Amino acid sequence: MNARSQNKIVMQHVLIFKTNIATAQARSKVAPLLDQQPFIEKWTVDMEDVDCVLRVVAAEPVPDRIIALINASEYECAELED
Amino acid sequence: MRYRDENKIQAIRECAIEMVAKEGLENFGINRLAKAAGVSPATIYIYYKDKEDLLTSISIEEGIKMTQATLKDFDPKMSFKEGLWVQWKNRAAFALDNHLSANFFEQLRNSTYKDKMMETITHEFRRAMGDYVHNAVTRGEIDEMPLEVYWSVAFAPLYSLIKFHNEGQSLGGRKFKFSEKIMKETFDCVVKGLMK
Repeated sequence: MNARSQNKIVMQHVLIFKTNIATAQARSKVAPLLDQQPFIEKWTVDMEDVDCVLRVVAAEPVPDRIIALINASEYECAELED
Repeated sequence: MRYRDENKIQAIRECAIEMVAKEGLENFGINRLAKAAGVSPATIYIYYKDKEDLLTSISIEEGIKMTQATLKDFDPKMSFKEGLWVQWKNRAAFALDNHLSANFFEQLRNSTYKDKMMETITHEFRRAMGDYVHNAVTRGEIDEMPLEVYWSVAFAPLYSLIKFHNEGQSLGGRKFKFSEKIMKETFDCVVKGLMK
């Protein structure tokens, strides 16, 4: 087993996105979709923040899948860079 | 793939303590913190889910640091005078070395984070303090008295000296610098007042 696949097992991936999920109502619309994903361990939206930051702890580093899920709920979502 | 970077976490924590200590909670936010700490907001969100999470986590860590520092070399079985002197030395050292941390707590004390902060004052700490006073009463060294009376006489004078020191002046603009000699002089008066 190489180092990379070992990391895959022990590491959690924290993915950070800028969104427009600004209200509890908006949050409740995306919630079922995110909750259903087996690779998502937990997620939170900071609705106090200007960027309504979505924080996802996932088993896989797949930002594109998260973006697709949020876009499917007709909300904006872009990865927030370091 | 992002790795946990302890140096970055430390910088974020120190910066947050300084900001809250100096400016209070009102204008504190992840974005302002990121600017001050020289990291991107995304970096802060890797470690903390929001402002609440960050402040709670920092106050727990600082609370543990404070209780550990206060209990250093302290034993509830000590004689009243000896135990109180250890407490004074520990509390003075912590307050003087961690000026920002003390101000950070002061800001939280007046906020909704108070309950979480109180939880961090560990069971161990409360028990050590409680047992110490109880032992002193049982041995007939001090009278039983309400906690507020005890604290106001036993510790408030020390914090008063520390406050004078931090402000650089005492009453009517008199210059003031904290020293062990001044602390001992005040301590002797306190012990006289409390002990039978």
